[in-house]
Amino acid sequence: MSRFTKSRSLIPIVAILLVPFTSSAHADAHTTIVKSGGFTTKLSAIPHRIISLSPTATENLFAIGAGPQVIAVDSLSNFPKNAPMSKLSAFTPNVEALAAKKPDLVILSVDSTNSGATRKALELLKIPVLMEKAPLQLADAYAEILAIGQATGKVVAAKAVIAKMKNAISRILASARKSTPISFFHELDSTLYSATSETFIGHVYSDFNLVNIADKAQGADASGYPQLSAEYLVTANPQIVFLADAQYGENMKTVSNRPGWSGIDAVKNVHVISLPDDIPSRWGPRLVDFYSFIAGAIKNIN
Amino acid sequence: MSEQNQTPMPLSRMWSWRITFAAALILLLVVVMGLSFGPISINFQRILRTLLGLPGSLEGQDRTLLLYLRLPRVILAGLVGAALATSGAVYQSVFRNPLADPYLLGTAAGAGLGATLAITSSHANIYSLLPLFSFIGGVLAVLVTFFISGRFFAEPNSLLLSGIAVGSFATAIQTYLQQRHSNALRPVYSWILGELTAANWTVVRWSAIYILLAIAVLISISKQLDGLMLSDEESFSLGINPNRLRVIAVLAATLATATAVSASGLIGFVGIVVPHLVRGITHRVTNRSLATIAMIGASFLVLADLGARTLLSPAELPIGVITAFVGAPFFLFVLRRKRVSQ
Repeated sequence: MSRFTKSRSLIPIVAILLVPFTSSAHADAHTTIVKSGGFTTKLSAIPHRIISLSPTATENLFAIGAGPQVIAVDSLSNFPKNAPMSKLSAFTPNVEALAAKKPDLVILSVDSTNSGATRKALELLKIPVLMEKAPLQLADAYAEILAIGQATGKVVAAKAVIAKMKNAISRILASARKSTPISFFHELDSTLYSATSETFIGHVYSDFNLVNIADKAQGADASGYPQLSAEYLVTANPQIVFLADAQYGENMKTVSNRPGWSGIDAVKNVHVISLPDDIPSRWGPRLVDFYSFIAGAIKNIN
Repeated sequence: MSEQNQTPMPLSRMWSWRITFAAALILLLVVVMGLSFGPISINFQRILRTLLGLPGSLEGQDRTLLLYLRLPRVILAGLVGAALATSGAVYQSVFRNPLADPYLLGTAAGAGLGATLAITSSHANIYSLLPLFSFIGGVLAVLVTFFISGRFFAEPNSLLLSGIAVGSFATAIQTYLQQRHSNALRPVYSWILGELTAANWTVVRWSAIYILLAIAVLISISKQLDGLMLSDEESFSLGINPNRLRVIAVLAATLATATAVSASGLIGFVGIVVPHLVRGITHRVTNRSLATIAMIGASFLVLADLGARTLLSPAELPIGVITAFVGAPFFLFVLRRKRVSQ
């Protein structure tokens, strides 16, 4: 098939390099079809050289016992400790660098830069790609674990992990859910970016009957991460402040020094909670840990 | 191109052709380098055999990698580099301003707004619409700039100023959209820094049409463009209609820029560095070396992209970071040398 119009070019090299191209499709009788992240993945065999470019997918793979099938994970996949962490970037994946490792499955986040082009390029190289999307609620997180189970031939184990998570989370909520609502502010960074109840993390808080002060700014950001004004925050007077930016140096002391914050209930009553690193943004089996962390943190707040 | 030669200096013309030939050799060399290096090492001989269609060519994954990933990317880098360098040179002589760059008349901000609209409004196929949106955005911004400045080139400065105003306005809307769609922050940011990661044959094909057409137009009027360095009265006396010429030049340069921007985002400094470099070597006003400028621009960007692919490997480095990192100090050097020589 001719892929070019042989126009007279000003750059002679273009003409020299014109060559005929061929491509072939390959189908197999034993194909597994997995739907994930809004895309369909076809696998002709159980993959044994998996590259995960998503910390959540990495945790899922190892939780369902597919760890030995993984040859490399991205530079942010720091859990579990025995995951083969590499310098591969989850944000700006380089197709050639991925192909160099000869993978038979790449798990790619829909949110990575140019994920569409990366997926197409990998598929050109006959490397199957499983797309992973940030979940909006627990059901999505479970669906992802199941999809990874289907892709790796570990469906039974995946279902067991999901059942265990469901169980643990409902047990935590049964004892820790507040009977009367309590207002809170979830701080993403010191410029007061927050997350509304429409986001995944927002759903977690709602499960505990906590009331999100960022919900008033719903609609300010399409994906549910608005920036609040300092004035609004002080007048909203949250009873709890969760610091997702604790790993960047924010704590009880730094927030109480902010203008106006000393009058906020959360600060007066020392209900400023530093969230652990990573766990709030890992939507795999460690969600249980996150639920139990929140349960412990709000236990004595009424 | 018809020869209506006005330079009675055959020696100097010889020299100019030699430089053009050297530029073509450099481009060829750089393209072969760009195709040969990458995170995966492929046998060099087999690369050449594959490209020339000789027996013993690459097969399977390596072949796909070379022909569908590296080759379109290298060609796109070349096209974008040629477009930015050529239009930069043309803007500089049309506006008689050595600091003029291809993004001058609001092109960058308009294209940025278009790209942001594409990223924030559609959910699934963002990148298939992005080039179209940024192209329309860039061209619209330039048209608005023309419209506001009223009488086209009665006063080049008023055109520059309305370009700045239109640019600021488009940037304001873009920032507002980004604020409303925080999930678009990273894709927009990476687009602004420039990227060739999405290169494929479809992009190469349509951008080649516009860019080569625009460059051909610019080269064909390049001799007359030199006349613009004179006063308008003097140009008239040489049989040049300066305003008509300026409109054609700016439109062609804008078409090339808008295409480059929509294919690869905002890649800075090529449009300033390359024309100044070539002028420094050829000691020509600008326009007779336009073909040389195009080829050196192409070489510069192919090299920069090679860096983008390999320096931080296995991650990608935004190509705009490389061009500015090399371009800014170089630019200062040229500026300083000029002042010293004056």
